[in-house]
Amino acid sequence: MRGIVAELTDASVPKFAVGCRWGGTTEAPVVLFPEGTIRVEGTGRIILELCDGHFTFAEIVQKLETQFMLAPKGKIRTEVQTFLEQLHVKRIVDY
Amino acid sequence: MPNPLALIAEITHRCPLHCVYCSNPLELTSRKEELATVDWLRVFGEAAALGVLHLHLTGGEPLARPDLAELIAGARQSRLYTNLITSGIGLSRERLAQLVEAGLDHIQLSFQDSSEGPANWIAGARAHAHKIELAGWIRSHRIAFTANLVVHRQNIEHLEGMIEGIEALHPDRMEIAHAQYYGWALQNRSALLPTRAQLDRALAVVAAAEERLRGKVRIDMVVPDYHARYPKACMGGWGRQLMLIDPAGRALPCHAAGVIPGMCFDNVREHTLDWIWQSSAAFQKFRGEDWMPEPCRSCDRRKEDFGGCRCQAYLLTGDASATDPVCELAPLHHLIEDAVREDAATGLAPEAREAPFHVLQEQMAGFWRYRTDPK
Repeated sequence: MRGIVAELTDASVPKFAVGCRWGGTTEAPVVLFPEGTIRVEGTGRIILELCDGHFTFAEIVQKLETQFMLAPKGKIRTEVQTFLEQLHVKRIVDY
Repeated sequence: MPNPLALIAEITHRCPLHCVYCSNPLELTSRKEELATVDWLRVFGEAAALGVLHLHLTGGEPLARPDLAELIAGARQSRLYTNLITSGIGLSRERLAQLVEAGLDHIQLSFQDSSEGPANWIAGARAHAHKIELAGWIRSHRIAFTANLVVHRQNIEHLEGMIEGIEALHPDRMEIAHAQYYGWALQNRSALLPTRAQLDRALAVVAAAEERLRGKVRIDMVVPDYHARYPKACMGGWGRQLMLIDPAGRALPCHAAGVIPGMCFDNVREHTLDWIWQSSAAFQKFRGEDWMPEPCRSCDRRKEDFGGCRCQAYLLTGDASATDPVCELAPLHHLIEDAVREDAATGLAPEAREAPFHVLQEQMAGFWRYRTDPK
């Protein structure tokens, strides 16, 4: 990553950036942010539901690893990191 | 049919600024025709029920409505994401706190240039210093903050300085919006349309800023379609994603549709939003592909850009069903090429730019026409 993108560490606590919040319906939740919406389902939804300011990055990875025990070692960590970094650049997640 | 995702509420056409790039219609709605608070609150509820997620409160200057906090509270009660698009004029520290308290999610503040003189010249009002002060107040609240820089021939050379000035205000997002040629902006097109060389330099400035501010400020750019090869998918297609309600309650598929002759835009005073979206003649008029002429009808891009903008087609060719002349495949594309080639007149000497509105209005009469307030 270039520029001044914050580094995501085990101790980072990912949470919605200011002006971003849940919306839509329980069946079809969306993340609302200025000028846009992301429909999240599956793993993306699980990750974002854990981004409520209560869990560190390491804890989120651990929870997902417990849930998806068959995934190759390290894969979940990389995927969660990429997902959160992408949302950070879009100013949807801060950590 | 998909549901609309966003509702644009032009709650008033009254505005303390006189921006020459304003895309409001030339025929503005007067105060006495404006919808009442209770009507707007009902419309917001209907919008949410129809699946709308975002509400954009705009105008004119939405702060001109004394019931703005009440409207925001009502919108939030209907679970809408509320965005205020404003010049900031009329917003004290106390009133901002009230709007945030009412549930405002996002504020989008417009900037006209990098300093008071040229900004005053473009907006016909001294507003720049207040905007800078206001930005500091906004940052003391937990709401999203976008700075909107409207770019055109008269300020495009200052873009780098504008971005640096805005950066110091710590917005979450910057919108670099090239003027769109509707309403007052179309009247003033020859003074506003940038040259290709100016645009290329501006694109390089924005690319450098994006790189530098990555992860800190999100930059979104609205490119000027006159310099594009293909037209914009205006509003995501006619009656496909958005609804706009004008101050008097007329529902339109976009900001400018009121100019198209022979159309009847139904009013939220008489019909539900659901009926207007599903069944009104206006929203169905350019949905789908049946209305398309060639070359759109057999073009692969028709599902991407929907033939471009219907209002622009009408404004430039006199036929709302024509291919948007921005498209290089359009039979009347030469209208765009001619406009881009036009030489701009010279602007005003820098020392005269601080003049009050009535003086500017007189001095600039042959150069551009300032937006005036509705009666």
